Amino acid sequence: MKKSAIIGIVVIAVAIAVIISTYSNTSTYGSFNDAKTTKSELHVVGHLNKSKELFYDATKDANYFSFYMKDNKGEECKVVFTGTKPQDFERSEQIVLTGQMKGNEFHASKILMKCPSKYTDDKLNVTEAKAQKSANL
Amino acid sequence: MDKVFKGEHLLPGDLGQFFVVLAFGSALFSFICYFFATQETAPKSDNSWLKLGRLGYRLNTVAIIGMGVCLFNILYNHYFEYHYAWSYTSRELPVYYLISGFWNGQEGGFLLWIFWTAVLGNILIWKAKTWEKPVMTVMALTQVVLGTMLLGLQIGSMHIGSSPFLLLRNAIEGPIFQNPNYLDFIKDGKGMNPSLQNYWMIIHPPVLFLGTASLVVPFAYAVAGLWQRRYKEWVSAAIPYALFGCMILGTGVVMGSFWAYESLNFGGFWAWDPVENASIFPWLILVAAVHVLIVFKNTGHSYFTATFLTLIAFVLVWYSSFLARSGVLGESSVHAFTDLGLFWQLVIGVMIFLAITIYLLVSRWKELPITKKDEETYSREFWMFVGSVFLGLSCFHLIIVTSVPVWNLMFGTKLAPPTDPVKHYNVIQASFAVVIALLSGFTQFLKYKKTDTARFFITTLIYLVFAALITGLIVYATGFYKLHFVFIIVMLCSIYTIVGNGKILADSLKGKYKLAGSAVAHIGFGLLLVGALLSAGTQKVISENLTGEQYSTEFAKEENPKENILLYRNEPVKMGGYMVTFKGNTVEGAQHLFNIDYQRVKDGKVTETFRLRPNVIQSQGGMSSSPDTRHYLFHDLYTHITMTNVISTAPQEQEASHAEAEDKEYDAPVAHEIAIGDTMTYREGIIVLKGLNKNATLHNIPLTDKDIAVGAQLEVISHGKTYQTEPVYMIKGRAVFDFGKKLEEPGLKLRFTKIIPGKTPADGKVEIMVYQQPESKKKFIVMKAIEFPYINFLWAGTIIMILGFFMSILRRNKEVEVATAKVKIQQKR
Repeated sequence: MKKSAIIGIVVIAVAIAVIISTYSNTSTYGSFNDAKTTKSELHVVGHLNKSKELFYDATKDANYFSFYMKDNKGEECKVVFTGTKPQDFERSEQIVLTGQMKGNEFHASKILMKCPSKYTDDKLNVTEAKAQKSANL
Repeated sequence: MDKVFKGEHLLPGDLGQFFVVLAFGSALFSFICYFFATQETAPKSDNSWLKLGRLGYRLNTVAIIGMGVCLFNILYNHYFEYHYAWSYTSRELPVYYLISGFWNGQEGGFLLWIFWTAVLGNILIWKAKTWEKPVMTVMALTQVVLGTMLLGLQIGSMHIGSSPFLLLRNAIEGPIFQNPNYLDFIKDGKGMNPSLQNYWMIIHPPVLFLGTASLVVPFAYAVAGLWQRRYKEWVSAAIPYALFGCMILGTGVVMGSFWAYESLNFGGFWAWDPVENASIFPWLILVAAVHVLIVFKNTGHSYFTATFLTLIAFVLVWYSSFLARSGVLGESSVHAFTDLGLFWQLVIGVMIFLAITIYLLVSRWKELPITKKDEETYSREFWMFVGSVFLGLSCFHLIIVTSVPVWNLMFGTKLAPPTDPVKHYNVIQASFAVVIALLSGFTQFLKYKKTDTARFFITTLIYLVFAALITGLIVYATGFYKLHFVFIIVMLCSIYTIVGNGKILADSLKGKYKLAGSAVAHIGFGLLLVGALLSAGTQKVISENLTGEQYSTEFAKEENPKENILLYRNEPVKMGGYMVTFKGNTVEGAQHLFNIDYQRVKDGKVTETFRLRPNVIQSQGGMSSSPDTRHYLFHDLYTHITMTNVISTAPQEQEASHAEAEDKEYDAPVAHEIAIGDTMTYREGIIVLKGLNKNATLHNIPLTDKDIAVGAQLEVISHGKTYQTEPVYMIKGRAVFDFGKKLEEPGLKLRFTKIIPGKTPADGKVEIMVYQQPESKKKFIVMKAIEFPYINFLWAGTIIMILGFFMSILRRNKEVEVATAKVKIQQKR
């Protein structure tokens, strides 16, 4: 067999492996209901329920922040985030959470939020907060 | 609408808009002229097409400079009637940030890109000689496409491009613009996003855009070569430019990661954010292309791969700017812009250059000089080719994952990016890095065409063993062995690259100077990988919350150790090997600098003290915190504020005018009866009554002879600091008043409420009411501190790699000159 054919086969094999691993690694967007039925982490899109309490008291625990979020299907759930409260959280318009259910609480490891900018709606600011974990690798 | 608005400065905008149209028109003109100049077959032509093409391109350059001058004029003079100035700058912004305001918006980014393309085009007019006509056709076409991005034309409901000279009243609708005096109400712009207020933001975008722009040159040469059927010639002319692109784009990307490291709270230099990934697609492919181009130049192998990679690198430039600018990444990236309405225009941009690539490759397919012979297994060209293929595959993986939102859009799927993208990318990219680093080590020992295998294996093995020894040492010393084995293998291969290329460099000093550039670049690359691995792999959060102050123990059990700690002012806390104390904050403009004292304590002795001043900026109605870093040779200590009660985004409440309301801020008062010289204690320190001032005076209150005003001279000692204060007790007429004093720093309010006469005047006592702030009112910060070890390897590696690229450019450029000189001599004969 020619060497170029071997390289071709290797390249195709690696490419397929990449696609499969990517596909298996991608998670899904879901609702809180989906989160209750699965054990894996997933993304939930929704918005903050501003009428309920946002709890963050740095003097008690600087790494505990909880709030209530309504997902896109209208279901509400308490969300707990290990970390400090992201800046301007109250002003967020849309929140994308990454995490999983633990009991009745959704434990978020990452919060991505969109805030309307102060004067106009022509530009949205996206900020991200991550529950910090020690090892990055 | 022919309303006259007061106070507007329309001249720079009108002029700027004129230049925008001129730039587009002249680019189009230049493109057409160059196109016909290239197609002309008659060798005896008077070159008028060529002359017109040059004229058009120069006019285009002038127009672009004109645009820049107009825009800067608008920003510098704070003409907030322009949307661009209003959106990104404000009056309090220092001049150097006004410069970065220039490229804050997407339009400014395009302006930089178009500017650099203009500069490069002028260099090519001067240098390209026989290549000028076809190469400049491509350059002019790029200017046309970029020009449309800035046009800002409104045709019906559709608009083409977005102009930086748009007026605020045309950009935003609002009743305020009915008023001819509306400018009187717009005193200031929105200001710059605080995280962009960093000195790296002044230099990073121009360099990055120069890199982006420079990728058009190898593309143009490849197109010219295929178009003019000068299949082999274009390669050596394009190599120096491709190397230049690698060097500058690489520098730009690393400057961006410097910025991320220093100013953003991503906790590191690289976060695998989609926009960051997009910026290295073209770089990876161009680096691969350079290697294959060199292979072709030396051996005649791999022509198709070389051409394809060179062409596709520039298409990827457009694709990555589509990703960053079209708003498609909105849900997955922190940096992405939102759509300016350019979505389809950007898609068309990608398509134009993709179409050129495909058309030329397909139409010339049968004529391409593709070798039928296989490469030797033990030849340098074969393994360089394999390495390039793996660089391409690594880029392929990045593209596949980063483009998840694009796939969703195209196929209507609902995939979400990986939940732990960092881990996903790290593991897969590390596997590619293993192959690439290993190849860039041993391929250097091979020769083109044919190598003596026995000698090659011996050298390779010796250096591999040597590298393994060093790796073992490093892995052991840094605690790196705790990580996934893939990373240890990457480490081994990177160190192998360094030692292998070290040998090549040593040889090159003995006379084989040709390989010096590549050896240096590969050493830099290896060092960069080592630095990235060590720094990301062994970084340590040292601000672990060990105080036991936790919300609930149950919560703590399932989560990681807490990584933010709470510091009350003036209360030292032990953190890692340090005692840290939050000393207070100082306000400088919009910046709040927090003074945090660090003391390194070893065996009860203070070995080192220093102060870090992380900073929180309030702007655009939000807060943004930037860290302060203590640099050591082998590690950096990075500290940033995640939360504080010192400043709030909510509007300041009215200063409490009522004493009662104010007293709520304090705990219930404690009354002390003391004599001169006595000491009272409170939670944060002591208060000493030094004496009584019988001649106390008060502002605005005239005293008569009958009135008595006595001041209690109090000294407060709290956390090693001494404060003086003097509350006053007064009898005026028949009424008794007291004027309390507040001390912000120690959190005290003191009132002098009673004089208790004794038998002798010296025996008298006074009553002092002490109000102290409750724990919850005390000022605190929540901060996070991370130790990044060996980050300097990363930066050093980058600089060395760039140096290597530079040396290679010099070498390849010389080769081109020698080659053209030879051609000239032949022609003379």
